[in-house]
Amino acid sequence: MTAVIRLEGRRRGVLRRSWDYLASFDGLAKTAMWTLAVLFTAALLGRLFGLGGSPTAIVGPRLAAPSLAYPAGTDSLGRSLLPRLLEGVMTTLLLSAVAVLLTAVIATLCGIIAGYRGGRTGGVIMRVGDILYAFPAIVLAILVAAVVGPGYIAALCSIVLVTVPLMTRMVGQATRLVAQRDFITSAVISGVSTPVIMTRHVLRNISGTIAVQGTYALSVAILVEGGLSFLGYGVQLPGSSLGLLVQEGTLYMVKAPWLILLPGIILVIAILAINLIGDSLRDRFEPREARSLE
Amino acid sequence: MRLLHWLPGRLLSAIVVLLGASILIFAAVRSLPGDFAQIVLGPLSNEEQREQLRQSFGFDRSLPEQYLLWLGNAARGDFGLSLASQQPVLDELASRLPVTALLAGMAMLVTIAIGIPLGVYAGTHASTGRGSAAARIVSTIGISFPEFVLGCLVVFLFSRFDLGLSVGAFTSPTTDFGRGVVSLLLPALVLSVFCVAATARTTRDAVIGVLVEPHIAASVARGEPKGFIIRHHVLRNALIPVLTLTATITAYLLGGAVIVERVFNVPGIGSYLVLALDRRDYTVIQAGVLLATAVFVIASLLIDVLTGLVDPRVSVAKKGRGA
Repeated sequence: MTAVIRLEGRRRGVLRRSWDYLASFDGLAKTAMWTLAVLFTAALLGRLFGLGGSPTAIVGPRLAAPSLAYPAGTDSLGRSLLPRLLEGVMTTLLLSAVAVLLTAVIATLCGIIAGYRGGRTGGVIMRVGDILYAFPAIVLAILVAAVVGPGYIAALCSIVLVTVPLMTRMVGQATRLVAQRDFITSAVISGVSTPVIMTRHVLRNISGTIAVQGTYALSVAILVEGGLSFLGYGVQLPGSSLGLLVQEGTLYMVKAPWLILLPGIILVIAILAINLIGDSLRDRFEPREARSLE
Repeated sequence: MRLLHWLPGRLLSAIVVLLGASILIFAAVRSLPGDFAQIVLGPLSNEEQREQLRQSFGFDRSLPEQYLLWLGNAARGDFGLSLASQQPVLDELASRLPVTALLAGMAMLVTIAIGIPLGVYAGTHASTGRGSAAARIVSTIGISFPEFVLGCLVVFLFSRFDLGLSVGAFTSPTTDFGRGVVSLLLPALVLSVFCVAATARTTRDAVIGVLVEPHIAASVARGEPKGFIIRHHVLRNALIPVLTLTATITAYLLGGAVIVERVFNVPGIGSYLVLALDRRDYTVIQAGVLLATAVFVIASLLIDVLTGLVDPRVSVAKKGRGA
């Protein structure tokens, strides 16, 4: 099947090929992808062309309800909420994506080494993973925030430390399964060097696991960033992130519910979309047979 | 008695994890920039006070010695004095422990009572289309709701409209257990949503995994009733991954409690930890994080033993925590 796709791919362009690939997902996952694309595009337009106005300028009355002039209402200082929402979406998505990219690199490296080489190095890597895994997510984030101090770096470090252990373990398990297969033995006998086996043979065959785990890590990342910012130790003012906006919204909850509802709903939608994509990827890479009792 | 073969190894690895975590916590707090005595006593302290404090904390000794001193005291329950209140940390933790334990226990109960039946239903109806899609969407929405958003939403709804339960009115379960339970009902429900959804998803996957096994087909062929097959063959086998998930859920409840207690203003260990972070109270942070980690390590050890008793197939190779 891979071979077929690659032959077609040579005839068509890279863009066309990736478009076809995305189009092959089920309806739910496609809707999720569109949702994320719309959110990100809106945030990008806000950043590049000032869509919705300036996030820091005071433009109107305090706590005004959503209207044509202020599509998302205004906050306690009379700033329009829409540009702050867009900035928050950008910060949350970008921060989480960068952190998960870091996680993916670290976890893939450690997971392949631990899973393929095993031995003492692998044991140490797995043990360190176990130790980090023993910290509840937000508790670990609090420890990081206590040491690093509140801000972007605390959020970034927390996300990486929270997501690395699980992903390393999953990559390690997938690697062990691949390492037992005949083509690896054959490559070893043929005298292929270990780094080449790791990248050319192992990495390619566990890329599905990396994609699935990376997607789930992204949703955890948004949760951790939101939680830490909500507690006041993630992104700091005058910056903006969805968690921070929810926290600000709690102060005027009864008078101005949109301040908490809008960032909250966007946060849920973003995480939901990422989880749906993750489920779809998992169904694709780890297919299971379903049978009912009927 | 297979248990005796792998239990010592599992115990040892739990101890290694706990020791590693304690080293990490100790190193994290000691790596704070600046003089620790200065942080503790504030800028108005004089050199004599700082010297006295350094001696009482054992700062004149080597780092490994300091670590062992701290660990030895912590193992005996002496976590030192809170920097902010000058009260023993243990007393403050102990007075808040029942609240968090009750909160987490209630959430765990809800998780088991709703999550497992939901997952079994979704798993046994996996190929019938509509029911499966609905279960998939509901459980995915459940794991996508951060508890601070859900908590704020609940607080908003219950303070804006009169819905029978009040938020913010907290009764300690040690003074009046019944009212304590009622006042923790909403926080526990908010805390349990993620766990219910996660349990339902894991149960569903496990049930689907068991259903394709040949012995189920054999039971169907023998004409055993459907309910009997589900209870006796499917559930028993499917419960093993669910049991393993319970360890992860314990960790999740501990972390989630931090946020939920903050949102609902519940005076438990979680809100104490956040308060400590606000006040830069490092002895409390050390003790709180160590406590949370220890609870998780012990819980997952117990669950592994339980899994070993339930499932005779659990061997040394499978003893690691799955997630």
